[in-house]
Amino acid sequence: MIVRKIIAIALKDVTSTYRNVTALVMMLAAPLALAALLGLAFGGNDSGYSVPITRVAFVNQDEGRDSTRGPIALGTLLCDILHSPDLKNLLAITVFTSPADARASVDKGKAAVAVVIPPDFTASITSPDPSATSSIILYADPTQTLGPAIVRGITQEVADAFNGSRAVSAVMLHLAADAGPPPGQNGPNSNVTTEDMEKIILQTTSAYIQATQEEGFSGTTARGPQVDHQAKDPGIEGLVLSGMMVFFMFIGGANIARSIIDEDAQGTLPRLFTTPTRRSVILGGKMVSVFLTVLTQAIILLLAGGLLFGIDWGGVVPVALLTLNTALVSAGLAVFLVSLMKTPAQAGAITSGVFVTLALLGGNFVGSMPIGGLFSTIRRLTPNGWLLEGWDKVLRGAEAHDILLQLSVAMAFAAVTFVAGSLIFRRRFS
Amino acid sequence: MGFIEADNLRKQFDPPRGVIAVDGVSFAIEAGEIYSLLGPNGAGKTTVISILSCLLRPTEGDARVGGNSVVHQAAAVKSLIGMVPQDIALYMDLSARENLVFWGKMYGMVGAELNRRVDEVLELIDLKDRQRERVDKYSGGMKRRVNIGVALLHRPQALYLDEPTVGIDPQSRRAILDAILEFRNQGMTILYTTHYMAEAQELSDRIGIMDHGRMIAEGTHEELVRIVGEDAHVQLSVDRNLEALMNVWPTLDGVGTVSAENGKITLLVHDATSTLPYLFETAQREGARITEISVMEPNLEMVFLHLTGRALRD
Ligand SMILES: Nc1ncnc2c1ncn2[C@@H]1O[C@H](COP(=O)(O)OP(=O)(O)O)[C@@H](O)[C@H]1O
Ligand SMILES: [Mg+2]
Repeated sequence: MIVRKIIAIALKDVTSTYRNVTALVMMLAAPLALAALLGLAFGGNDSGYSVPITRVAFVNQDEGRDSTRGPIALGTLLCDILHSPDLKNLLAITVFTSPADARASVDKGKAAVAVVIPPDFTASITSPDPSATSSIILYADPTQTLGPAIVRGITQEVADAFNGSRAVSAVMLHLAADAGPPPGQNGPNSNVTTEDMEKIILQTTSAYIQATQEEGFSGTTARGPQVDHQAKDPGIEGLVLSGMMVFFMFIGGANIARSIIDEDAQGTLPRLFTTPTRRSVILGGKMVSVFLTVLTQAIILLLAGGLLFGIDWGGVVPVALLTLNTALVSAGLAVFLVSLMKTPAQAGAITSGVFVTLALLGGNFVGSMPIGGLFSTIRRLTPNGWLLEGWDKVLRGAEAHDILLQLSVAMAFAAVTFVAGSLIFRRRFS
Repeated sequence: MGFIEADNLRKQFDPPRGVIAVDGVSFAIEAGEIYSLLGPNGAGKTTVISILSCLLRPTEGDARVGGNSVVHQAAAVKSLIGMVPQDIALYMDLSARENLVFWGKMYGMVGAELNRRVDEVLELIDLKDRQRERVDKYSGGMKRRVNIGVALLHRPQALYLDEPTVGIDPQSRRAILDAILEFRNQGMTILYTTHYMAEAQELSDRIGIMDHGRMIAEGTHEELVRIVGEDAHVQLSVDRNLEALMNVWPTLDGVGTVSAENGKITLLVHDATSTLPYLFETAQREGARITEISVMEPNLEMVFLHLTGRALRD
């Protein structure tokens, strides 16, 4: 009987909501329209941002060197990285043998940038002498900006990684030295030699090369999450609509949660309290209403996104889990916020303000893509930030186990707000 | 022992400083009786009815419905009563039928029984034809009827109606009053609140007059009217010689006090029918004409005026 009554209350609310034109516009039409508009603004082709392909003239003069693990050639590695599938939509590489030919290619406008790896590249990077340096030469067409910048970014990043491995080796050696000699040996640093250092540098470098070849180079794509080994293209519409969906689910949830206060003011809630139905059942029914409404809202938006924009949301299981989570968070947050409000008008104004603030901090309006830096720290202070991180990953092909962190944080947030909101409502109406 | 018994009910909102809406009210309603609470706005009628329907917890006192305490056995009380709130409490975006089905479920009804009962109630409130239209498309009177229908679904033994005729056309009002009398004839116990004296007088077996949270008088209509005596009020205006008449009329048989205010004379008379001809006769003899006259038989309005010094409708 209790379950029947809860279902009756929830069904009644869902029916009311989906009969209300304003509510429908806010819940469904607005996010779809905004996603369509933003999708168009960003070009709207199926590969998302359309960055033109940059033609690169590449010269590898690196002589490499031998190590105990076999020959090492970092120039070849850089060449492989530039050729990697991750970058094939960004770069078209032509290999030249002489730097002069490469420059000529740029001068004639056949390439946007020339990259020349010097002969001593590997030798100086793996040298134990910290003063040993070597420079990669970039020769760019001054009329081009984007392409050369991308190439500079990528080579810089690779070079940093190499230098990083050298620095790490050096630090490790110094740490070992500071720890003092092992028992039975005399004198400080007596066990650290230049040969040891060189050996370790070579080892870390070759380990780095191996790792890069096994896992693919993942540091240079525009997006951060480390699921790229099975990455799929999220598409701009997916990124934008997921942001809109989360935002408008929060609003949709709050609208239904507000119906608790509305019903109190309109007298149907007091009237419910005169029926032989326990107050906890009535309030429980309202909570289920909020959850079901945002859940159906999410399902409709997901389906509409697929049908209208051809969005491939990702795997069924992670998408289902994340949808459920998003609905729980929207419901929890809505119930909590509305429980603090006195009048329907107050609830309307204050919840919208809170949601817009959260959306600005959490990044709903910039789609779900991670921007990086301070922003990615701030967004993790918001529930929508976590949800969007999850949606971003799922859109890029993440499986359920890849988004466990996002799911757990969202669940915890939903649970806390839901319980707090329910308790406040219970106290208020007892 | 009454079917509904209120025992020294007291309700203070937001204690310790809030309004004392009900202040020591006691009364009993027999099974099968129509009992009206009559009083002006703010008298505390809705608060009493809310306590009796377990919506508000009394600050002090208790009440019993069918022997069950409203404080301690709320569930039992709620299934015995049907409550018609003062303001229409329906879902405006649902149809009449959808509303009735929903509220029926809240009273624990299901399936075929629920559907059958919804049909019966729709028949009873005369909305069968328009049962599938949204309630917000209905007239005020139709909404009121649905509002009452909801409370009848589970065949309650007692029906509370809180000012159910406010703001509707005379025809709908008539229909509602007739329906209430019919419910009583079928054995329902009815608690009715109103600030219309005429409604209380017409419907009620007994009436409680409330003011400022207190029960100031209680009884049948006849008993209450006796509080102000049997005298009718006759109010009239004359075109001249007012002073002379003011001296003559008090000497007539069957006339009590005579007073004048703003050119209008008020007389208390024992029996208006036999006294009126003499009033016209004496006026003519003094060379005056009665230009306006009205007779007020003793009624609840006068009782209220008598007890509080204020008119019922303020
Ligand atoms: N929820 C409430 N909070 C505070 N005061 C209230 C509340 N409900 C009613 N009152 C006050 O209690 C008094 C009685 O109100 P009410 O029972 O509604 O009177 P009536 O139904 O006879 O018009 C009024 O002064 C009213 O303002
Ligand atoms: Mg009232």
